[in-house]
Amino acid sequence: MTTRTVEFELSTPGVDAAGRDIRVPLGVPGREVEDFPSEHVLINIGPQHPATHGVLRLVIELDGETVVRCIPHIGYLHSGFEKLAEYRHYNQIIPLTDRTDYLAPMSNNVCLALAVEKLMDIEITERCQVLRVIACEMSRIISHIVWLGTTGIDLGAFTPFLWLFHQRELIYDLQESWTGARLTTSLTRVGGMMADVPDGWEDGLRTFCQGFPKVLQEVDTMFTNNAIWCGRNQGVGVISQADAINGSLSGPLLRSTGVDYDVRKDRPYLGYETYDFDVPVGEHGDNYDRYLVRLEEMFQSTRILEQALDRLAGLRDAPMNVADARVILPPKSRAMSDMESMIHHFKQVMEGIHPPAGEAYLGIENPKGELGYYFVSDGTAKPVRWRIRPPSFVNLSALPQMCEGALLSDVIATNASVDIVMGEIDR
Amino acid sequence: MAIGVKVMQRPGREASYMRATLKGMALTFRHLFRRKVTMQYPEERSTETWTLSPRWRGTHRMLTDEQGRSKCVACGLCPQICPANCIKLVPGEDEEGNRYPLIYEIDEFRCVFCGYCQEVCPEEAIHVGVHYENAEYERGRFVYDLERLSAQTHPVSSLWDPTDPRGE
Repeated sequence: MTTRTVEFELSTPGVDAAGRDIRVPLGVPGREVEDFPSEHVLINIGPQHPATHGVLRLVIELDGETVVRCIPHIGYLHSGFEKLAEYRHYNQIIPLTDRTDYLAPMSNNVCLALAVEKLMDIEITERCQVLRVIACEMSRIISHIVWLGTTGIDLGAFTPFLWLFHQRELIYDLQESWTGARLTTSLTRVGGMMADVPDGWEDGLRTFCQGFPKVLQEVDTMFTNNAIWCGRNQGVGVISQADAINGSLSGPLLRSTGVDYDVRKDRPYLGYETYDFDVPVGEHGDNYDRYLVRLEEMFQSTRILEQALDRLAGLRDAPMNVADARVILPPKSRAMSDMESMIHHFKQVMEGIHPPAGEAYLGIENPKGELGYYFVSDGTAKPVRWRIRPPSFVNLSALPQMCEGALLSDVIATNASVDIVMGEIDR
Repeated sequence: MAIGVKVMQRPGREASYMRATLKGMALTFRHLFRRKVTMQYPEERSTETWTLSPRWRGTHRMLTDEQGRSKCVACGLCPQICPANCIKLVPGEDEEGNRYPLIYEIDEFRCVFCGYCQEVCPEEAIHVGVHYENAEYERGRFVYDLERLSAQTHPVSSLWDPTDPRGE
């Protein structure tokens, strides 16, 4: 027994019925805080370690090189987004959502707009739906690219990272010419979009959709049959189907265990049920299956993008924003020339949009899993409560289970394959 | 059913170190002869495949009218909508009853460059600009006052502008 066991008891303080302090050990629930045998070593990975993909700190108890216990400590990037939102109009929350899952900002924007639209019972236009599908799938691709590239680096493969990040740059360029920002896109507005795509933009995306699968094939050549990649990933970080469901995991992490749950398929939004694509599932629930699932998802996203582009061409002159004066600002030229529109413009900007009192939860399939936004409204222009269900927060909770009993080097591989983004975990 | 489920099969044959390494090296080697995609940044500001988007949301610029006065009428929409609370506006009124900003300051450190100020401006006065590289030697220099905002010369974002109808 050493004094260092206090690391395990950094805990949620509380008092029991008799007034004594109780300490809830962080870690796997239901396990007693045992003695810490003197031959065990306690190490920190992070919070400033590049392999933790953000400011995550892992406290790991090692027996030799075997992980006995792994405890993630989070909160280093806490920014209080949920609280900040309580002081902002609904449209003003959109820049906050850019910064939660900052690897897939457009997808977050879409989720917020959809949640408020559900709260207000607004039906968005078809063109807007298609544009949002494009935004979501572009986000999925860049998020998976970052995942695949950095996981490769964690396991010692640097070359595919460079090829993939070139593709990511291409998407960022498209994102930039659409929204005017590479990362903080703030793309959506309640009831519509910030801006339509510029003329000729579709051609750029189409060119990307043609070139990207070729790069993925190259990455596939580098990784899929590579003995080192297989050795480091196959059978590592295994989680069973039952544990994955019990842990409420979602996204590729859940699908790698063979559960075919995808919000796009099971609770379709944005008309996803009308697109042709496959939901890839794995069989073993290990790191390698997560790799296969995500790789295939990128191919499928490209497929969806191509279909969405075809639809967009058919909706060239269709309206993008809903014709609902409660939520959409009048066009700038009208607001500057016509008194009615100007009054409207001022009233809406000063007072914000007013959803009816009530609550709404909407989940979408983010690259990392099911992202849910929950709003409670009291009828005023600001939400009473905004709750984020961040997929990587829930997925991270499975990490200890996946690491324990494995070797230290597997912790890095497994942590990478969970695909966390600290912006939304600590939010 | 339009949405299918695809079970990912892992490759059946035994992975070989030798073959994988050689294949990887051959592929990497072929990449040597492809076109370079890097840009020599400080020397090269744009290439034939990329220039900064005209919709770029960068540091602000206040537009002025023919007499050189700012177009701002101090209506107060931009400090109201700003999600980062970075705009300070004190309105004033001249003898003809025209409102103008006595103080108009934007703290570019607090700014999140969402562009809402430009979106809501009913006079097309405040704009986010197509500009980056904002280094300064002092923190205080990042609070842009009216004079500085009006003196900026970079182009303004084409979002929410009649020149870019698709940008709303």
